[in-house]
Amino acid sequence: MPIVQFTPFSSIIQPDFWHKLTNLKIDVLKLSDDALTVSGSYSTGRTVKDRESGQEIALGCTIALGDGAFDEREFGVPQGSVRANGTFKNYNTIEDFKAADKTSLFNQEAEKIWNQILTTRSTALLTHFLLITYADLKKYKYYYWFAFPAFVAKPAWELNGEWKGAGGEFSSSQLGSIHTQLKLQKEPLAFFLVRTDTQDVSISPVEEYETFFANTPSSAQTIAFVDPSAAPDSPGWPLRNLLAYLRALYPATTSTVRVLCWRDEHPVVEGLEWRSRFGVLEVGGAEAAAAVTRPQAVGWEKNPQGKLGPRAADLAPMMDPKRLAEQAVDLNLKLMRWRILPALDLEKVAGTKCLLLGAGTLGCYVARTLMGWGVRTITFVDSARVSFSNPVRQPLFEFADCLDGGKPKAECAAASLKRIFPGINATGHQLSIPMPGHPIPPNPTSLAQAKADVEKLERLIDEHDAVFLLMDSRESRWLPTVISAAKGKIVLNAALGFDTFLVMRHGARASSVKEGVTRLGCYYCNDIVAPADSLTDRTLDQMCTVTRPGLAAIAGSTAVELLASLVQHPDGIYAAAPPPAQDLHATQSYAEQGGSVLGSVPHQLRGFLAQFRNMPLVGAAYDRCTGCSETVLQAYEKDGFDMLVKAFNDQKYLETLTGLDKLFDEGEAALEAVDWDEDGEGDDDF
Amino acid sequence: MLSRSQFEIAAKAFIANHDSHSHSAWSWFDSARPGYGFMSRTTIHTRPIPAHDLADEETEDDATVTIHPTHEQLTCKQYVVYSASFQVPAFYFTIHNSNGSPLPLSEIVKSSLFKLGVPDGSHATTFALTMPTSSFPLLSQGDHPILGTPCWYLHPCESANAVQELMREVQQDTWDEITRLVRWLEMWFMVLGGAVSV
Ligand SMILES: [Zn+2]
Repeated sequence: MPIVQFTPFSSIIQPDFWHKLTNLKIDVLKLSDDALTVSGSYSTGRTVKDRESGQEIALGCTIALGDGAFDEREFGVPQGSVRANGTFKNYNTIEDFKAADKTSLFNQEAEKIWNQILTTRSTALLTHFLLITYADLKKYKYYYWFAFPAFVAKPAWELNGEWKGAGGEFSSSQLGSIHTQLKLQKEPLAFFLVRTDTQDVSISPVEEYETFFANTPSSAQTIAFVDPSAAPDSPGWPLRNLLAYLRALYPATTSTVRVLCWRDEHPVVEGLEWRSRFGVLEVGGAEAAAAVTRPQAVGWEKNPQGKLGPRAADLAPMMDPKRLAEQAVDLNLKLMRWRILPALDLEKVAGTKCLLLGAGTLGCYVARTLMGWGVRTITFVDSARVSFSNPVRQPLFEFADCLDGGKPKAECAAASLKRIFPGINATGHQLSIPMPGHPIPPNPTSLAQAKADVEKLERLIDEHDAVFLLMDSRESRWLPTVISAAKGKIVLNAALGFDTFLVMRHGARASSVKEGVTRLGCYYCNDIVAPADSLTDRTLDQMCTVTRPGLAAIAGSTAVELLASLVQHPDGIYAAAPPPAQDLHATQSYAEQGGSVLGSVPHQLRGFLAQFRNMPLVGAAYDRCTGCSETVLQAYEKDGFDMLVKAFNDQKYLETLTGLDKLFDEGEAALEAVDWDEDGEGDDDF
Repeated sequence: MLSRSQFEIAAKAFIANHDSHSHSAWSWFDSARPGYGFMSRTTIHTRPIPAHDLADEETEDDATVTIHPTHEQLTCKQYVVYSASFQVPAFYFTIHNSNGSPLPLSEIVKSSLFKLGVPDGSHATTFALTMPTSSFPLLSQGDHPILGTPCWYLHPCESANAVQELMREVQQDTWDEITRLVRWLEMWFMVLGGAVSV
């Protein structure tokens, strides 16, 4: 005969249990590792239909612990479930948890169960278990291990015949009667006896074995238990200790037992089969003597890897405020995709590493909008310190940042981002960007410093995907324009006038653009002079200190939204600019109209706050441009820092290099030759 | 819209009207603060687990079955709680695996709780203005209003109108107050059922 195999308990812990344990540890247990009583519950074995495959899946032989586990009085056993109590021990350190003498702990509990059987004949402890834990409250991680001690029968129980549906042994009305009688119990019975009297059946607690089965033929005696197993051929764990109980107390009448594995929490609808199982078990060998000494016990729970070892629960995603913030940010963005733009590739935006040159008004607003898009790497470069005028206009700074000479703006802005959202990777670098028209003092120290600054900027641009030019002077944009163009980075440029702004993206490098395609210009493409010291040669977009207060927020957000549209476009940095007059139709997908999923990817946007109007413009690249022409880029790539020093020091160098100087002379001559219309419409503020 | 006491009446009548012989039946949970009860239930979901190497599986004794589960059991606790700000019920839930660890968002939306597959994003789509009815509910994270434990919830902002619309179609003058309230809650579940399996 095959030996009977039992389905072990597997634990299900609800998050509430961990919440309760956390509170208990903080408020009550503190450093105590005294044993406490916990309560769990189990119910009849269940199957669920898998949505994907449609197959019925037998759920494990589970015992659940929830929020009432520590409160014996309030512990409400869910309807249809029976209760199981356990010994709970929490350790204060992971070392104590690991070093605990598991064998002795286990044997103590087994001893408790055995003594209870012999001394009180109560079945109350047959499902008694042990739970040891260590709670790492700082990391919201919980280590635990369950043991469900079960006595090993020697010799083992064997199955006479096979397990069959209970309907094959009892009539449907008898099973219905068992169901009704079980429901009438004040306290749910985990174990019970069934006596068949001609037609009807009656049930009784196992404790009344002698009187209930007195004068009952053995063929009318059945032992039964609420079976948490759903496996057809293996009864659940509680049966093991019930059998041990019977063998210990009633050895003479229990070498053969009829077993009903009760699995029908709900009465069966007419025509369907009862799920309970029935089998006849026998203890092999001769007359087994009453067991006086405690049998060996087994029952440590295996972990999901199938090993005997502790398990860990990680509750950080629901409890760690930093993780909660990260998830909430993610969720917010995902909702945009799920609800509105399924084609939106959020990861592409969020994964764009952004370098912000300038941590002033524009830098602050650009950073905040980038953060809104889920961008996780934001790096600031600025050489200034926070001054008293900054906080009201620059939302990453506050009054305290201005004290004692002011904090370095770049670092301060990065720290502020981290305060706002700890999940962000923000850093700040104090760096002054060398610029044309600002000669480097002719001494080795200054030259070495300039070289180091250039190298640092090159490295930073290398490490990022998009560079935002947000400085307050025109000529400081030149060096990053050249480096970024050479390295093929996305460049977004924002500049403010009093009530006007310019936001633009730089076009891709000439040598990388396909022939016949109009290359888009950079910030300097419209110029017929090289960038120079703007203190003496000021154009309007540099007068950033006097701007309408709302302008920076509008321009900053516009720059970020332009980046978002750009990275969503399949052509990225090569995306063609829409003609200025083209309007996208909301009734048709933007992508089909040449835009990205977010819409068009304009080249330049000029905003006029006086008219509350934005105007998209396209400016072609200029092959003599001092910022992006191949002549300049190749000279930079060939001579590196030496070429840059010439540009910084020599006002005429770039103009000569690109041939602008000749053109300028021609232009002057031409200007003199025409009758200039002072009120001409083409005059704009940039 | 419902008042808090109407919600309690509707919920209790709804529970009484529905089959309690189901594992996923709703029940009423009274809170310590009178009048602040809510509906709750637990549902079981599964997800396939990759087969692991069983060669070195440890066996303790011959009478213990060695189990090779093909599916992991997920437990979903669901609550219908009254939202005082929106004066409608709101759906709160948690999903956790067997050790009590909550599922990450990406797994939750893939689980059998959600009816709608989340679009893959590989195809172009029209702009928001042309899609006045959003397909995915506003999912948020927040504490259970009464239990205070962290939960996910579906934002109730859009449900009142949707329920009202359905009610206009079914409403009958002969209904008494309780019937109307129960029907209201049933319609609310119907709206909710558009997004999640309830
Ligand atoms: Zn250019």
